[in-house]
Amino acid sequence: MVMHTVSSYRFESLEETISQLSKEDCQIIAGGTDIMVQHKSPRGVPAKFEKPIVFIDHLKELKKIYQNNQDIHIGACCSYSELLKHPLIPKILKVAIQQIAAPAIRNRGTLGGNICNASPAGDTLPLLYIYNAKIKLRSSKGERLIEIKDFIQGPRKVKISKDEILTEIILPEVQEEGTHFVFEKVANRRADAIAKISFAGSLRLDEGRIIDARFAFGAVGPTVVRFMDIEQTIVGEAFPLDNMVIDRVVAGFDRKINPIDDHRSTAVYRKTVALNLLRYFLKKRAFKEGHRIN
Amino acid sequence: MIKFKLNGKEVETSAPPTLRLIDLLRDEFDLIGTKEGCGDGECGACSVMVNNLVQNSCLIPIGAIECADILTIDGYSKTELFKILSDCYSEAGAVQCGFCIPGMVMASAALLSENPNPTEEEIREGISGNLCRCTGYNMIVDAISLAAKKGDGIW
Repeated sequence: MVMHTVSSYRFESLEETISQLSKEDCQIIAGGTDIMVQHKSPRGVPAKFEKPIVFIDHLKELKKIYQNNQDIHIGACCSYSELLKHPLIPKILKVAIQQIAAPAIRNRGTLGGNICNASPAGDTLPLLYIYNAKIKLRSSKGERLIEIKDFIQGPRKVKISKDEILTEIILPEVQEEGTHFVFEKVANRRADAIAKISFAGSLRLDEGRIIDARFAFGAVGPTVVRFMDIEQTIVGEAFPLDNMVIDRVVAGFDRKINPIDDHRSTAVYRKTVALNLLRYFLKKRAFKEGHRIN
Repeated sequence: MIKFKLNGKEVETSAPPTLRLIDLLRDEFDLIGTKEGCGDGECGACSVMVNNLVQNSCLIPIGAIECADILTIDGYSKTELFKILSDCYSEAGAVQCGFCIPGMVMASAALLSENPNPTEEEIREGISGNLCRCTGYNMIVDAISLAAKKGDGIW
């Protein structure tokens, strides 16, 4: 048997890693929890990759978490477990991370990996969308920032050049006080499951009125979706919301969301559950003490 | 050459970097205590410790374990902590076919080292990545709870 092997790199520094990426088109591997399954070979045979591999999960430069003014900067290679333990990570993001996989994968999978894998069902993505997270990319030519909604183009497709690497995820102006958050994931099993549908919502109130509303749905389209035009329609409304307002918002999403049938769920189920989760959040969930994050 | 620590010994391998850790352990080092169930990171049978953190060895390319400290069930079974877990698994009747047990023990060990007095809910969370198709989990939860008490002070 001819063994299919490719060259691989594991540099001591981010600089050397970036320098290699400027010379050669490589496959970056962080935790590997998705990519090793996608590239799996029969038992005992190395996972098959067409491009040279660059391992990055050990790079200290990509494991920092810090605050800059109101923004929280998260290194791309922070594992889920590291995020769960860090005091700067918003509580609702921890609630979502707690629902990702199980301890063994949370010790290995990374936030940057979850984003670059760009699954429509990626567990951290709905919250990153409602936070308006920014992605910092670096190459030998310099750095650039891109909004997460522009970075993720479709299933497994992200807007990154061959010479770039995702270095940081930035959560701008995180304000937990006075904001009601929710993250919901519906799947076959509580641990180690891929979402059939996921939903993140936030409502920010001031003197009984909504001053900011954000809703994101996962696994209902090729990417996570948000509709700012609908969100805008409830800004200024008194809270608790009138039933007619709730009906109007739910009907708005009913027209916009178009999920598909696949091996994990059906379009009808996905749409029904998505709208129910939204309605439940608008009606009840936001009142519940256990889901108030402040 | 990839160099790392395996069950307390410095070792090296010339196997390709995208080989999975589970294949390296079983085929090159004959450490067959670690089992492969699903090969997708969903069943936990292949659990090992990497730098004291429980991880799925079916998802780890060996190129990523340079300099790491790997502990498998074959190494862990020589420790005092294992004896407590082993006794408690027996006492609680937590082992039936046994295939999930090496992974279940590694997940138990990881949980107790981080949280020596877990609640039932924390135990269930700690082993949530490990599937057992025989016991219905209750006896395994009992075993871990018993181990927490019997090993009080040493976890």
